[in-house]
Amino acid sequence: MQEFVTIGTNVTRTHVRDKAIGAAIYTDDIRLPGMLHGRLLRSPYAHARILHIDTTKAKALPGVKGVITSEDIPRIKFGNWRLFPDTQDEYVLAVDKVRFIGDEVAAVVAIDRDTAEEALSLIKVEYEELPASFDIDTSIREGAPVIHEAFPNNISIHRKVSHGDVEKAFAESDYVREDVFHVHAISGAYLEPCASVAQCDYSGKITLWTSTQVPYIVQCLLATTLGMRENDVRVIKPHVGGGFGAKMELRKWDFCAAFMAKKLGKPVKFTLSREEEFETGRRRHPMRIYSKIGFTKDGMLTAKDLQIYLDGGAYNAMGPTATFLCGNYGLMLYRYKSYRFHGQHVYTNKPPASAIRGFGSPQSTFCTETQMNMAAEELGIDPLDLRLRNAVHEGDVIPELSKIGSCGFAECLEKVAEASQFRKKRKNPKKGRGIGIGCYSFISGGVFNWFNTQYPFSAAEVRVFADGTAHLLTMASDIGQGSDTVLPQILAEELGLKMEDIRVTSADTAMTPQADLGSWGSRVTLMAGNAVIDAAKKIKEKLFGAVTAHFNLNVIHDLECKNGKVYSKGRPDKGLTFGEAVALAQKFQRGEPLVERGSYTPRGKGLVTPAFSFGAQVAEVEVDKDTGLVEVKKMYTAHDCGTVLHPQSVEGQLEGSIQMSLGYALSEQFVLEGGKTLSTTFLDYKMPSAMDMPESESICVDTYEVEGPLGAKEAGEGLVSPTAPAIADAVYDATGYRCYDLPITPDKVLKGKTKL
Amino acid sequence: MKQLVTLNVNGNTYSLAIDPWRTLNEVLREDLNLTGTKLGCGDGDCGACTVLVNGRSVSSCLTLAVAVQGKEITTVEGLAQSGEKLHPIQEAFIEHGAIQCGFCTAGMEMSALNLLKQNPSPTEEEIRTAIAGNLCRCTGYYKIVEAIGDAAKKMKV
Amino acid sequence: MSLTKFDYYAPERVEDACRLLMEKGEGAMVMAGGTDLLIKIQRGLLKTQTLIDLQKIESIHDITFDKDKGLSIGAMARLNDVANHPVIKEKFPAVSEAALATANVQIRNMGTVVGNLCNAAPSADNAPVLMAMGAVVNLVRSNGERQIPLEAFFQGPGLTVIQKGEIVTSVFVPTPPAGSGASYQHISARGKVDISAVCVGVMLTMKGKTCQTARIVLGAVAPVPMRALRAEKVIEGNPISKEVLEKAGIEASKECKPISDLRAAAEYRKILVGVLTARAVNEAAKRASKKPN
Ligand SMILES: Cc1cc2nc3c(=O)[nH]c(=O)nc-3n(C[C@H](O)[C@H](O)[C@H](O)COP(=O)(O)OP(=O)(O)OC[C@H]3O[C@@H](n4cnc5c(N)ncnc54)[C@H](O)[C@@H]3O)c2cc1C
Ligand code: FES
Ligand code: FES
Repeated sequence: MQEFVTIGTNVTRTHVRDKAIGAAIYTDDIRLPGMLHGRLLRSPYAHARILHIDTTKAKALPGVKGVITSEDIPRIKFGNWRLFPDTQDEYVLAVDKVRFIGDEVAAVVAIDRDTAEEALSLIKVEYEELPASFDIDTSIREGAPVIHEAFPNNISIHRKVSHGDVEKAFAESDYVREDVFHVHAISGAYLEPCASVAQCDYSGKITLWTSTQVPYIVQCLLATTLGMRENDVRVIKPHVGGGFGAKMELRKWDFCAAFMAKKLGKPVKFTLSREEEFETGRRRHPMRIYSKIGFTKDGMLTAKDLQIYLDGGAYNAMGPTATFLCGNYGLMLYRYKSYRFHGQHVYTNKPPASAIRGFGSPQSTFCTETQMNMAAEELGIDPLDLRLRNAVHEGDVIPELSKIGSCGFAECLEKVAEASQFRKKRKNPKKGRGIGIGCYSFISGGVFNWFNTQYPFSAAEVRVFADGTAHLLTMASDIGQGSDTVLPQILAEELGLKMEDIRVTSADTAMTPQADLGSWGSRVTLMAGNAVIDAAKKIKEKLFGAVTAHFNLNVIHDLECKNGKVYSKGRPDKGLTFGEAVALAQKFQRGEPLVERGSYTPRGKGLVTPAFSFGAQVAEVEVDKDTGLVEVKKMYTAHDCGTVLHPQSVEGQLEGSIQMSLGYALSEQFVLEGGKTLSTTFLDYKMPSAMDMPESESICVDTYEVEGPLGAKEAGEGLVSPTAPAIADAVYDATGYRCYDLPITPDKVLKGKTKL
Repeated sequence: MKQLVTLNVNGNTYSLAIDPWRTLNEVLREDLNLTGTKLGCGDGDCGACTVLVNGRSVSSCLTLAVAVQGKEITTVEGLAQSGEKLHPIQEAFIEHGAIQCGFCTAGMEMSALNLLKQNPSPTEEEIRTAIAGNLCRCTGYYKIVEAIGDAAKKMKV
Repeated sequence: MSLTKFDYYAPERVEDACRLLMEKGEGAMVMAGGTDLLIKIQRGLLKTQTLIDLQKIESIHDITFDKDKGLSIGAMARLNDVANHPVIKEKFPAVSEAALATANVQIRNMGTVVGNLCNAAPSADNAPVLMAMGAVVNLVRSNGERQIPLEAFFQGPGLTVIQKGEIVTSVFVPTPPAGSGASYQHISARGKVDISAVCVGVMLTMKGKTCQTARIVLGAVAPVPMRALRAEKVIEGNPISKEVLEKAGIEASKECKPISDLRAAAEYRKILVGVLTARAVNEAAKRASKKPN
């Protein structure tokens, strides 16, 4: 294994100073001369035909500069799954029908926000209300309201995966159990509401600043929906106040800002309110999960039959990927001798679900891990031992799908058990206290090109200068997770430079190298990191050539860049400073600057991911026997994310995921009534505050992932999955209440408890 | 309808004509271009808009600009002495990795300042209570709590 | 702030505020901290034409204590001022606790106890204890003033006896009799910083081990904070034993009439009423016995 200089240290994160003093610019902070403000008119009905829209009064209001409906714009459907155009089911503004409360119907642009808001109330829309469906069961029933005409049974995606003979395996199993779980929707609840600002120059070219995780995807889809060429659209990602998966598509206000900026010749801004975010924003898929698993009597898994209905809401959004991934998550972690998965993505008249941190994993892992805990109890095997017996290991093959690379899962189990004294505490229960466990495995980016990009999955450009500095350009998007720190850190390591020697420019589609699919699916560190290394290698080749020539070194000398120098490993005296080496190499090119492009596209890496992360988590809870309130006292985590590039960031990811998953397990939920969201404020949509957080202790298990940059792989997204099952198991341990439907609310605990 | 208002923000005096229904948050961000103060909800729930008025933390999204005339207003832009010398709270936030996406940061720092002015040696519990009105989705609050604890020490020396 | 446009006044005397209220008619409203009012205006729930800010009226900021009479909390006394007031903490701990249980730091720096009462949310954190302690509301109008017991102040969610042209200048809490104790208990089903799903305020007077008088007030389980009269009867004249606590809890949970909303189901609220009543009575009794008789 390598010895690192910068990697593994807590270099100061790139933008934190700006953020600390309030100087970092987020989209809504942008103010351009003459800027206009837009608002969206949304449907008050869950399902209705649009009979007529009258915008005359709104247009006549002083200060209003433009009002658009689907009549005024190109009617082009869009969606992220470009490879399968059938899945692209959204128009920018509703055509003929609205499908959920909040569906965008019209947009107004005015001199200020208040005027735009007032104009919304002057638009008269005649609707004919249609019967609506708000849950999976209603949607898949015979004669259910048809939400999209192209899918008369309301199922937009089927995904099947299987290997082995599941039926035979069940027949031969000593122990079989089947369960049905229901999991609910939660919000990404990023603190920065979505916003975009568009400007159109004299030649009709668009620049869009938007709060996004995927500038390149927004660029492509915006161009398509505007009927423009890709290169005529420039998308810049300013600082982003969190995304968590919910900002990974072209959104309607992006289009409306751009379209209106072009039409009016003035910059246009749209900023969503928090109410809009909660009423209409992307959310984690609710699911109904049926799972049947079989074991031998000594606890060896024989088979799994997993059938999942995803409640997708009114449009596909990232539902196809979630459906696809659920099938994969279902067979990660353990060795399943036979496996069958059927996932179905169902339309309902609710705000669309999409990709919220974990992308199907929190849901399917809740089922997997809860069943492991139930099986352990019934088989009379310690839950840790049951897992250890079935755990995947390095080199394991997931039939037809993938091969496991580095894998510290078993070690994670041992370490977390040791730190938490799981076995001891489980055997000697204290009144009102419980301890439980959950595990996860996650992807480090997907390998499947649903966006149908014609570019590499990630790219990097590195420029080096005779003053000893480097400039890294990448389209990778830092949305708070820290890629603007970790990518230059990787470059610093490769080139032997210090962090302060590196300038980073990121996520501007006109300036940074084509392309990058964005920040989601835990792909950035691995994919963009590999692209950086690729570019750095090419730079180094040139520097090594220059140094070799300068000192007339034998060609067999091994060279390296370290501590600001470029030299022969065997003869460190034969070397130049980094700047000198660059100057020399530049001379060899007769002045042409040293600029190299690197890229990464997973090829031949199976059908899932280039690298899997793993982890195990133990929760300790205290339950109030009178009120049923659950207080999580402590979370213990052991996880394997390969090389830890920036320890503080990895911890930060883990800690943030505990907050989000604690909310998922206990307090966060959307309350809807007839398709209308009632929890539209943070007061009503309850995410954990600083006072609700448990203690946390964590251990990183040391592994080296050869597919990853400098041995690194995913950290932080997979971690949202084990928390809810661990807490649920701890609650069971304390009370005898086994949760089949999240969240674990105190009234459910009181009703379900069998002891305490 | 507009009223002439004199606002004292970070030691600077601004004279403005503003509509009485506009919030301090809007006026700071839109009229004074002090965009370090964020708007996360507009409902008093998230704390991203926290500023100090006469030394006490308030939600600028629920404060009318006309109502804080003549009072001393401090925003995140008023914390650092200069570009080189940050406030100990800001330094601690940076050192402890308490900033991820940064959207909650300004509000968190102002709540921290509100706390440390009244209670120079807070316990962990007191820190948690002090920032209970500031939501963060990225950090789980751990490093923020650590940073505030450390800032307390830094501010004493 | 969208749509609603209003004029703003910040009078310096109570009389001026009352006069403005009358002059400006229907759309005139008074604002204390504004933490309830401004949200309602933003959401279009109130049609406000004139906003009368009370903050410049110096006389109503005060918190005063007279040990023979009691505690007076001015209409502009902020929740945090009440929560952290040394005399209130010492002599009226439950009042301080209720103020501290309200919202978060920023809102407590802005919002007032009186605003919390005037807003008349069924879940108002400050109402139960004050009502249990026999608080009285001082109302002033241009041509007079009146005192209304807090118990008779609320008329429904968002409704009080405040009449047109009237403002509340303070709420007065009589000094509790010797041998008394009070407690405030509240719970949310969803986390520590939340509107209470149920809240209970209790004041007892004890003689030795026996409860002389009991006042139990339940919040968030009826349109207005309500006395749990049957539960009070269970306790009065009895020692505070485990059985009595349990029985009082059962009675209180039978008496209340909660609804289901997104914070908690009615059924669960009833359970909480039982638990919190017992806890509050128990704590009040303990506090009573700590004070010299
Ligand atoms: C994020 C958040 C969290 C909250 N959490 C809680 C909580 O946990 N518990 C809780 O109980 N409340 C909570 N609230 C509600 C609110 O903060 C409290 O009710 C607060 O005490 C209101 O006081 P105020 O001074 O801001 O009232 P204002 O908003 O100024 O006034 C409220 C109402 O009372 C009237 N009014 C005010 N003063 C007078 C007066 N002197 N005379 C006549 N009428 C008057 C106003 O016209 C208005 O109708 C919360 C609010 C927010 C924004
Ligand atoms: S923006 Fe003011 S509290 Fe959220
Ligand atoms: S750092 Fe992102 S919300 Fe706190």
